[in-house]
Amino acid sequence: MIVAISSTGTSLESKVDPRFGRCPFFIIYNTDDDSFEHVENQARQAMGGAGIQTGQMIAGRGVKAVITGNVGPNAFRVLAAAGVKVYSGVSDQVSDAVQKLKAGELQGTSAPDVSSHFGTGGGGGNN
Amino acid sequence: MIISVASGKGGTGKTTVACNMALSVGYCQFMDYDVEAPNSSFFLKPDIKHIHKVTIKQPYFLRGTGADFSECASFCNYNAVAVVGDDVIFFPELCHGCGGCLLVGPEGAVRENDVVVGEVRNGVASPSIDYYMGDLKPGSMRTISIQGDMDKSLNRDELVIIDCPPGTSCSMVFSVKDCDYCILVTEPTPYGLNDLKLSIEVLESMDKPFGVIINRDGIGDDEVEKFCKNSGIKILAMIPNKREIAEYYSRGDSLIEYDSSWKSRFEEIVKEIEKDIRK
Repeated sequence: MIVAISSTGTSLESKVDPRFGRCPFFIIYNTDDDSFEHVENQARQAMGGAGIQTGQMIAGRGVKAVITGNVGPNAFRVLAAAGVKVYSGVSDQVSDAVQKLKAGELQGTSAPDVSSHFGTGGGGGNN
Repeated sequence: MIISVASGKGGTGKTTVACNMALSVGYCQFMDYDVEAPNSSFFLKPDIKHIHKVTIKQPYFLRGTGADFSECASFCNYNAVAVVGDDVIFFPELCHGCGGCLLVGPEGAVRENDVVVGEVRNGVASPSIDYYMGDLKPGSMRTISIQGDMDKSLNRDELVIIDCPPGTSCSMVFSVKDCDYCILVTEPTPYGLNDLKLSIEVLESMDKPFGVIINRDGIGDDEVEKFCKNSGIKILAMIPNKREIAEYYSRGDSLIEYDSSWKSRFEEIVKEIEKDIRK
């Protein structure tokens, strides 16, 4: 199974990034052979709808599960439509998060856990 | 001549200044561009004659036709369209209504609807004010669509007073873009000064002449006054901080009813501005 982990860096020692749509990198991890690569998240520069664009990129890579800190409503809708399972609320090192997923210790999320614009760093992105 | 009344910080007295200026001059056009929270009607008490709905175009996608909408998704800068597998998801709150997805999408499979985002009310306020007020539908983000609709009614041949939204975002920029002069209302506090500086940056980058009115003079310090004097910025008026003024305000009564000398003061300010911009 291919898993995407929102990450602060490019290695397995990086921390899971709390933001889905605006994280700098994703670690794309294949749990079948423990291989991984990193991709830069271009969508984090988006004017709006970063989570939507990120969700499409993730779905387009054949990812079946996402591990991240928080997912907003729009990104969640895209991931759900693509049949991608979401594990949110994770703040470990990427490698620990993968181990927990493999051990079945992560709980799937059935609803978005933050409102829109969580990851934009402003007070809601309105002004 | 168009005078916009703006302020960086909210709640400093834009509407108080704009309404009292309109009431003092008597004959003018009044535009409430603060469409997210229009409240000038409390003070001008207009008799509304016309209401019209403002609509925007919004796309809808004929799903289940086998059409591929991925061009629409990659075209949209605001990510209002997502394509996942062979399904399309539309996020109306992100759509800016540019119509691009109709152009780049599969022919005939993307269509447009008219969606109401708010309304513009027009009427007469005494003594002789041609009154316009925009009202954005709660939840809608299309502030500029309402203001843009109101723009069409601007009558430059007369005095126009625009009551702007607070802040320095798009909706404020839109409200000052056509003005001949901008009055910045602020309060004498560190917040007021900070946000005044932000508004000045916007106006200077747009080459707009401006002056400052300090409202609630006496609640804070004299830093705003010092800043204006040191920067050569004209202070048009200082409205004192008085409980009675607040009481009048909270009843929807005007400053000129409280103290009629403000009527001539506001008339003078308009004349001074007129002279200033003719220079």
